Amino acid sequence: MPDSRNLLVNAILSVLALFLVVLSLSTGTVQVSLPDTLKALSGNADPMTLFVVNELRLSRVMAGLLSGAALAIAGCLMQTLARNRLATPGIIGIDNAATAFAVASVVGAGLSVAPSAMALAGAAAATAIAFGLAGANGTRGYRFIVAGVGIGAIAGAVTQVMLSRVAIDAANAAYPWTVGSLNARSEHSVTILGLGLAIGCLALIATSRALNTLQFSDAVAIALGTRLKATRILGLGLSVMLTGLAVSVCGPVGLIALLAPEFARMLCRPGKMPLMAAALTGAAFMVIADLIGRTLFAPLEIPVGIITAIVGSPYLLWILLRPSPRSLT
Amino acid sequence: MSHTTTATLAAEHITLAHGQFTVAENLSIRLPPEKVTAIVGPNGCGKSTLLNGLARIHKPRSGSVLLDGKDIHRLPSKDVARKLALLPQDNSAPEGLTVADLVRFGRQPHQGWMKQWSVEDQQAFEAAIRAADVSDLSERALDTLSGGQRQRAWIAMAVAQQTPLLLLDEPTSALDLGHQIEVFELIRTLSQQGKTIAMVVHDLASACRYADHMIAMKAGEVIEEGAPAHIVSPELVRELYGVQCDLIPDPSTGSPLLVNVRRCT
Repeated sequence: MPDSRNLLVNAILSVLALFLVVLSLSTGTVQVSLPDTLKALSGNADPMTLFVVNELRLSRVMAGLLSGAALAIAGCLMQTLARNRLATPGIIGIDNAATAFAVASVVGAGLSVAPSAMALAGAAAATAIAFGLAGANGTRGYRFIVAGVGIGAIAGAVTQVMLSRVAIDAANAAYPWTVGSLNARSEHSVTILGLGLAIGCLALIATSRALNTLQFSDAVAIALGTRLKATRILGLGLSVMLTGLAVSVCGPVGLIALLAPEFARMLCRPGKMPLMAAALTGAAFMVIADLIGRTLFAPLEIPVGIITAIVGSPYLLWILLRPSPRSLT
Repeated sequence: MSHTTTATLAAEHITLAHGQFTVAENLSIRLPPEKVTAIVGPNGCGKSTLLNGLARIHKPRSGSVLLDGKDIHRLPSKDVARKLALLPQDNSAPEGLTVADLVRFGRQPHQGWMKQWSVEDQQAFEAAIRAADVSDLSERALDTLSGGQRQRAWIAMAVAQQTPLLLLDEPTSALDLGHQIEVFELIRTLSQQGKTIAMVVHDLASACRYADHMIAMKAGEVIEEGAPAHIVSPELVRELYGVQCDLIPDPSTGSPLLVNVRRCT
C-alpha cells in the first residue's frame, strides 16, 4: 500500500535534516559558506576549510544526527509498547541508569569498561528491574512507568554521589554526561552507535508490520497473526539498545524521545508507527539544538541537553494539556 | 466471495484459568462447519473466556484447541490468522485511524516480506468493505463513527482476512435494535457464503433466531448443546438465568420466543 502522505513527510524531513547538517557544518567560530561546505564534503576545498568541516565539525554533527535518530526511535517504540505517551526511556529512568553506569566508567569508579558498554548495561539493568517490578502486566500499565521513574531517581542520585566523591577534574570530565552534551563523545562510541542504529533499522523494517499491530489490543494483534511476545521483546530490546548507545554518545538528552515521535505522529497518517519520521525529526532536532547551543553564546557553549529541555518543555506542556490529545490508542 | 477451504475448530478437554481462578474445567466442544454457533450463558459463566481460548488469545492450562486437528498453539500464528479471524470485545484503535486503514490491516496475515499489497489483497479489501456495507464510511476516522458503524468496520476487517472461521465476542453489545439486526444479518450472510462462525451472545432471543447451533454454559460447564429449537426450554432458561418464562414459536420463523419472563417464585 503506497502511502503518499508519509512518503512526502519523510522526504521533507530528510531534506530538512540534510540542510541542518550542512548549516551546522558551516557555522561556528570559523564561518564557511554553504557552497564551500558542500565542496569540502566532496573533498575539494582548501586545506583549512577541509580541516574545519571534515575534521572538526563532521564527527560532532554525525554524532548528533545518529543519537537524535536513535533516541527518537527508542521513544516511539517504548511509547507503543507501554501504550502511554509518557513512557519514553528518558522518563522511565533508562537514560538516567545508562548515565550512571557511563559516569561510573568515566570517573573510574573501579570499572574500566568502555562507556558504550557501560551505558548499554545500565539501560538494560534499569529496564529489567522495571520489568520485574511491573509484574504480570509487563510494559503495559502504570506499574512499569512508576517503577521506571523510581529507578531513574535512584540512578540520578547515584550519579550525583559519584560526582561528589571523586576529584574535581574527574567530576568535570563527567559533567557533560549529566546534562547531555555532544562534547564528551568518543569516536568509538559514535561508531558503535552507527552500527547499532543500522542493525536496529534493519530489524525494524523486517518487523514493521507486526510492530504496527501492537497499536491495537493484544487480542487484535494476535488475531492478525502477530507473535506478540517475540515482537514485544524485540521492540523493547531495540529501544533499550538504542537508548544505551545514544546515551553513551550524548548523555541523557531529555525530551527528544518524547517530542520527536509526537511530532511525527502529528504529521503522518495514523495507523502506522511513524518510526522513520520520528528518527528524522529526532536527528534534525538534535542537530539544530546542538547548533544553537554552541553558537548562541559563543564561545561559551550550552550543552545540547539544556537546549532541548528549554525548547521542549513548553511543547511537552502543550501536548499534555491540549484539550483533545491525539493518543496512541 | 466463496471459500473453497473450510477449517474445523474444536476444544478438547481444555481447562481455562485466570491466574489462580479456574474458569472452566475439562471443556470439550466442536464448531459445526459452515454453521453459526451461539455461545450463551449468564455473566461470568466463562463464555468469553472460551471464545478467547478458541481464538488462541487465552492459552488453556491443559487440553488443546485443535485447528484442523492440530494444536493451535503449535501452529505458526500467521497460518492460524489465515484460517481464523476474531472480533474481540476490546477493539480500541489508534486515534484517527480510518475505516479503510483498519480493513487493510485484515490483509496482514496474507502479506509478508516479499509479498506487498497485491491485486488479491485489493480485491479482498473491496469485497470486505462491500460485505460489511461500509463503502460510504471508508475514509472516515473510526472515532467519528457511531457504535454500529464502528462495529461494521471491525467486522469488515475480520472479513478481509478471508478466513473460513470467524469468532465474534458479543458483536452486538452496545448496539441499538436496528444495528443489532444489521450485524446479525451480516453474520447470516457470511455463514451462507460458507464461513463457520461462533459468537458469544447475551440476548437469548437473538441467539435462537440467528444461530444454527447453541452452546449453553453455566459456571464454566456446557449444560446443553444443540439446535436452539431443540434445546431451549423454560427449564433451560430457568437454569441459566434463574428466571421463569414461557416459550412460543415465532410466527414467521418458528424459532423459540421467550415471553412472560418473570422472577422465579
